[in-house]
Amino acid sequence: MNTRTRIRLAVLAALWSAPLAAQQTQTTTATASLALPKRANSVRFLVIGDAGTGDKVQNETAAQMFNYYKLFPFTFAILLGDNIYGASRPQDFAKKFEQPYKALLDAKVEFNAALGNHDDPNQKFYKPFNLGGQRYRTFKKGNVRFFVLDSNYMDPEQVAWLEKELAASGSDWKIAYFHHPMYTTARRGPEIELRKILEPVFVKYGVDVVFTGHEHIYERIYPQQGIHYFVAGGSAKLRPGDTRPGKVTEVGFAEDRSFMLVEIAGNDLFFQAISRTGKTVDKGTIRRKVGAAPSTVSATKPAAKPPAKPTGTAAPRPDA
Amino acid sequence: MSLTKWRGSLVRTGIAGLLAATALGCKEPYEERPDPTAAVYADFGQRIDAYVKLRDSLASNMGALDETKSQAEIAARATTLATLIQRARDSAKQGDIFTPEFATVTVTLIKTEYKQEIDSVVEQRDDAQEELPNFVPAVNMLYPTTYPLATFPATLLKLLPALPTDKIEYRIVTHYLILRDVEANLIIDVIPNAVP
Repeated sequence: MNTRTRIRLAVLAALWSAPLAAQQTQTTTATASLALPKRANSVRFLVIGDAGTGDKVQNETAAQMFNYYKLFPFTFAILLGDNIYGASRPQDFAKKFEQPYKALLDAKVEFNAALGNHDDPNQKFYKPFNLGGQRYRTFKKGNVRFFVLDSNYMDPEQVAWLEKELAASGSDWKIAYFHHPMYTTARRGPEIELRKILEPVFVKYGVDVVFTGHEHIYERIYPQQGIHYFVAGGSAKLRPGDTRPGKVTEVGFAEDRSFMLVEIAGNDLFFQAISRTGKTVDKGTIRRKVGAAPSTVSATKPAAKPPAKPTGTAAPRPDA
Repeated sequence: MSLTKWRGSLVRTGIAGLLAATALGCKEPYEERPDPTAAVYADFGQRIDAYVKLRDSLASNMGALDETKSQAEIAARATTLATLIQRARDSAKQGDIFTPEFATVTVTLIKTEYKQEIDSVVEQRDDAQEELPNFVPAVNMLYPTTYPLATFPATLLKLLPALPTDKIEYRIVTHYLILRDVEANLIIDVIPNAVP
């Protein structure tokens, strides 16, 4: 290859990557636009997944979270694992957690972490993650009971604990969150083994919603056996284009980093997925199943796609 | 059938019946044979108990670690505990806990389980190793702190002897099955070529 050809190729490569570079460096100044109703006494929280890189985009996404906090003052956040990538030295906790979320921490937002495969299990002792020295735990907010699981090591002891806690739970809403997705269309695919073990338990005890990360995208899955699944693992890392809306995924977003806001009031759960630049990439309402009535979701897909019709619980279980 | 033939047939049937009855009568009453793995697992349990006793005694000198805001404190404790265990087990070698007998039973179990799993599950297990740089785990070695811990296959975990998982856990590193002290982040035994 001669020098002229090399230069031409270099120029072409630079031109090709320019839009991506522009996106990477774009500042987070888009106007925050809240799509949640802010009902009185509602349970409000932030959902973050796979965030602990300490890089510029994590900080930009965190800044956007704070923009939305000002509109929607949530009281707590859930972390879906991979909270600290790479080394776990004290300076890493500062760079990858304490500094990006300083504004939220200063505002007394309580972080509740689950462990990911990149996390040192000793994070359970790190007080700001509120694991209470345990790999898995449960906590309650308003009319919602949360089950924080360690999907890296789903031993029979943990499953027995989960069954016991679910059986004892009298809460209206049951929300489980952990790192590995049981349903996804992203490259690494769903955790089939985990699904085999957890899904019967979730169905038996009426878990309503499941949040997971691991895949560096946003995905809302069609309800599976009456359970609503979200993948929200794109709060710092990103796999561009790694989502395939279709039979399994109702809405996918993998063009930029993202996070979610959730509000629960009575039997309604309102959700909004937001990009690093402040754009709403998905929103909707899940109505909880009450008695014999099935759970439903109504959502408005963003962009030019027609609004989604309300979806019942009987979506076919995918093989993927 | 003539009378003679009929009598002969009756005698033969009678003898056969007597032989069968005798054979049944002579048979040893059914006794449940001991599970050959039970002794191996019992021995493994004792070795685990002995390890836990040792590491607990070392940890107790350091006092309990409650939740703390200081990651420095958590890291320092892990390092100190690992150092104490390494010193106390400086002559520890491969097979001290995962005895050869345990390794034989467990490797057979793991390989059989892998063969029974569908391809997509096995592929996913391989993917879990994808982010793990190639390193050779060894007894008394710290698990590299910058490496992820590959997710342990949940269905396989159901088949292995239970551990006090707040203290010790199984992990897979490429083809190795390892035992890891959770808090000290220390590899305490390994079985090479345990995993396909």
